Amino acid sequence: MVKENMNDTDYRKEKIKSVVAWTIATIFACVQLVLTLTPFFFMIMNSFRKQFDMLQQGVFHLPDPWYFQNYVTVVTNGFFGYFLRSVIVVAVSLILMLIISSFAAYPLARMEFKLNPFIYATIVAMMSVPMHVTLIPIFKMTTKIGFYDSLKSLIGPYVAFALPMSVFILTAFMKTIPREIEESAEIDGCNRYKNFFLMILPLSKSGLSTLSIYNGVAMWNEFAFANTLLISPQNKTLPLALGQFKGEHSLDIPMIMAVLTLSVMPMIILFIVFQDKLVKGMMAGAVKG
Amino acid sequence: MNKKVLATFFATVFTVTTLAGCGGGSTATPASNDSDSKAAETTESTDTTASNDAAETTETADASTSAGKQTDGKNVPELTTEPLTITLWDIATEDPGKSTQEAAVQRFMADYPNITVEQVHQQNDTYKQQLVVAMSSGQAPDMYMHWGGGPMAEYYKSGFANDITDMYAKYDHPEFIDAAIAQSSYDGKLLAIPYGGLSGCDIYYNKTIFAELGLEVPETIDELEDVCAKLKEAGYIPFALANASKWTGSMYYMYLVARHSGNAEFDAAYTQENGGSFNSPAFKFAAEKIQDWVKKGYFPDGVNSLTADDNQDRALMYDGSAAMMLHGSWQSSGMKADNEEWYTENIGIFRFPEDAEAKANGVPQNVEIGTAIGNGFSFNCFNSDGSVDQAKLDACFVLATQYYNDETYNNMQVEVGAIPSIKGYGAETVDDPNDKYVADVFFSASNVQLWYDQYLPASVTEVHKNCMTELFGLEKTPEEIGQEEDDAMQKALAEQ
Amino acid sequence: MGKGKKVGLAQAKAKSTARAASVFLAPALLLIAIFIVYPVIDTFLISGYKWNGISVDRIYIGLENWNTLLHDEMFWKSFSHNLIVMVFSILLQIPLGMALATYLDAGGKKFNAFKVIWFLPYLMSSVAIAFLFNYALATNGGIISSLATLIQGKRTTIDLLGTSPNALYTVIGVMAWQFTPFYMVYFIAGYGNIDTTIYEAAVIDGATRWQYIKLIAIPLLGPIFKTACTMSLIGSLKYFDMIWNMTQGGPAGSTELMATYMYKLSFQQFNMGYGSTVAAGMFLLITAIALLFNKVFKVKEDY
Repeated sequence: MVKENMNDTDYRKEKIKSVVAWTIATIFACVQLVLTLTPFFFMIMNSFRKQFDMLQQGVFHLPDPWYFQNYVTVVTNGFFGYFLRSVIVVAVSLILMLIISSFAAYPLARMEFKLNPFIYATIVAMMSVPMHVTLIPIFKMTTKIGFYDSLKSLIGPYVAFALPMSVFILTAFMKTIPREIEESAEIDGCNRYKNFFLMILPLSKSGLSTLSIYNGVAMWNEFAFANTLLISPQNKTLPLALGQFKGEHSLDIPMIMAVLTLSVMPMIILFIVFQDKLVKGMMAGAVKG
Repeated sequence: MNKKVLATFFATVFTVTTLAGCGGGSTATPASNDSDSKAAETTESTDTTASNDAAETTETADASTSAGKQTDGKNVPELTTEPLTITLWDIATEDPGKSTQEAAVQRFMADYPNITVEQVHQQNDTYKQQLVVAMSSGQAPDMYMHWGGGPMAEYYKSGFANDITDMYAKYDHPEFIDAAIAQSSYDGKLLAIPYGGLSGCDIYYNKTIFAELGLEVPETIDELEDVCAKLKEAGYIPFALANASKWTGSMYYMYLVARHSGNAEFDAAYTQENGGSFNSPAFKFAAEKIQDWVKKGYFPDGVNSLTADDNQDRALMYDGSAAMMLHGSWQSSGMKADNEEWYTENIGIFRFPEDAEAKANGVPQNVEIGTAIGNGFSFNCFNSDGSVDQAKLDACFVLATQYYNDETYNNMQVEVGAIPSIKGYGAETVDDPNDKYVADVFFSASNVQLWYDQYLPASVTEVHKNCMTELFGLEKTPEEIGQEEDDAMQKALAEQ
Repeated sequence: MGKGKKVGLAQAKAKSTARAASVFLAPALLLIAIFIVYPVIDTFLISGYKWNGISVDRIYIGLENWNTLLHDEMFWKSFSHNLIVMVFSILLQIPLGMALATYLDAGGKKFNAFKVIWFLPYLMSSVAIAFLFNYALATNGGIISSLATLIQGKRTTIDLLGTSPNALYTVIGVMAWQFTPFYMVYFIAGYGNIDTTIYEAAVIDGATRWQYIKLIAIPLLGPIFKTACTMSLIGSLKYFDMIWNMTQGGPAGSTELMATYMYKLSFQQFNMGYGSTVAAGMFLLITAIALLFNKVFKVKEDY
């Protein structure tokens, strides 16, 4: 649709320019395609090999012969349990995080009050905390309230650690929503809460979906907290499943690649489903009315 | 519940009283201290029935209890009959270690049903961090694995390791080899029970390549250099080394020091007393040799970019581009797991060659590098007031000495190529010819030097590892490296 | 920002605004206080002690750790590495992400396949990335060295990870590879937030795509752009994961970052007191740089 509009312009010069630009862009696009796809491709390929073959033939070599036992081993070693627990933790944390961060971003983006700049600066500052300093305090709290070695223990840290960045991003997104929308609503007698739920939140959808992607991936791959707070195999999440194939002196790389391939698949599927929501102009029709 | 406890109690009392002075069965200790094991074994069967009867007459007890404990008739501390929970941390995340170690815990729990062992397998690469987090939060496990050396001393000094010297002297235990006991001790106190099995460090070589070029296994460093030159000439990389991991390059350094000085100079440098220094002749010799070899191309190009964690050194052996690899003896089982056929056909092993000149001057040539314990357990059994929780400590001690390290455990270890650090488990118990060689070398060593990176204080370890990068990368001179290590050591000593 | 606008606001309104704001902010601030602020305070407290991290005894030494930090060559070297990583991350990840997003925005639905594939690196775990790049960049049989050999016609090794300045830049490249996809998605969402009627109006006015991007879209994306830079900035100053898996700070500390240095001190070298000082110093430096950046950027935005 967009491109047709372009070509409709009668100026030949513009057309040539545009063709050249598109060609260059497409070449770069293809280079990028190769750069992103190659490592990913070989992650999957190596999961279909024996370690010896992989090391002898080289890592960047197609499976010869194909070997499927890695997947059988992974799946029969409780993979679905790990998987399910990860789904639960990530889903709960993500939903909580989205609600809480959009609550917090709203006043920061669209209300004028004395403490606003201070709170905003504090939240920015909290982004710069290295997560490892929180391990010991959070471990202590978790054992004190009896959450140690349970999935519950992860939700607090996951939500809290995603918050500063999320509030920060959402504030920026909410700032791009035109002022008139809110003002017109206020004249209508909407109060702030209604305003938030009926106007701002729906219009922040693209920001929220970016956040879901950013934090969803981070939580899905999160290792340090999970490793510290969960100890029994029946409570562990997916990133810890790798540990089964990694010993003091031994490492079954193809097996690890199989686990990683299996754990990335759902993310890819989700992204394919989700990504459509990203391009749509969320604002379309919002102002028109 | 109570009945069961009572039954256990009576069963224990009965067996202990009837068997007192019986000499002690030695199922768990192949080289037990006193009595002849044959006699003990014959009495064993009667013991079993005796205790069995005892249990049945007292009360209908759990089958596993009544079958008799494997500690029956041994001089071990009498364990509590109250319910007790022990948390145990190890790094046995995968088989075969996992099943071997879980089986030991299961045997223990079957014999002592009132005691629950919560066995947690931690991931190796974050293990030290996990211990720090747990210890600083007052949640340290009752019994935990470590590698000995500097960290063990640190745990002890911080009050997280029981001194078990007296218990070890008083009760039955496997006869660990001297090097293992030395490595489990600090400041004259025994702090750990070894259980991981020893690891030597020798040179794996590709027999096929050696045969093809008509090369002999070198016995002196000069011969080794000849071999390297010939290999290089034929287009092979002499040593498969992945030095991004740093401890791998350190093996060459440690051995050259040991061969040149019989390790006396390392011991001196460690204390920095009486002129001891990381710049003494042996260290200079080692560093110069290594840099010479680097310059001659005896190591792979970009040796500092290859990592052993990703098996990049093994890959060089597998694809036939490298001919030798100085590495820990766990590599045998690793390579076998990857492809046993290839391993048997191609891989041989020899010990790090001798320094002929030093030998002529009487320097011992049988100091080996490695670990005599692999892993050891320390116990953290204290009451809240800081006194020793003896009931718990007794249970941990029995578990570590009589169930880990018992015959079943050791056989399982031997089967997968680990060599228990117990007297009597010499070369003859090992099947794999390479592992047999490693064991031979190890048991005939006059002294086993633990890897520097586990032996040195943690802050010095970091410096040492960086020095290894700079040494192999030709970024610093031998003198500069010695100086850096000296500085770090002096700083660490000053802080103690 | 809104200077002098609506000066005549009733005080009651300000009050209700403040009330509404606190209701909205309360849950977030509470969680942040428990899980982040408290540990940060704890870190600052620990920085006053000589402590191995596990012992019950800690010795109070006042500001000695801070004094050490000021003169700690390794720390400042790590910090300078972080700065290099930061500059290159912003220069690589943001423009690349923007370019990819623009391409996708222009292409619309039929470029969905591009989008999904370009996004893959961000989904991969650091463990897999570190492993594959270690092999791809290996001097022996790695992709880069093999290509070089092919081009040169003789055996050529390019040591990207094993020598001093190379390793840092290589790691920066891998980081860009990993994070550019996120900024791509981020800017796609930004484009999505722009009213489609604005574009339609621009086209009617005879603007070309490029003019639209330059004159309308980029200025409209201003705040989004600024957040992206801040994220990249903070992210690269406290980066840990992939570096830890790939080089552990090596060779010889040439990819040591503040976070890896802090981790080694606190958890591997029994030096929690000083490790906490490094963490606290790191926190102060990052916050200062982030706030400064936002301030400078804000001034520009007003013009």
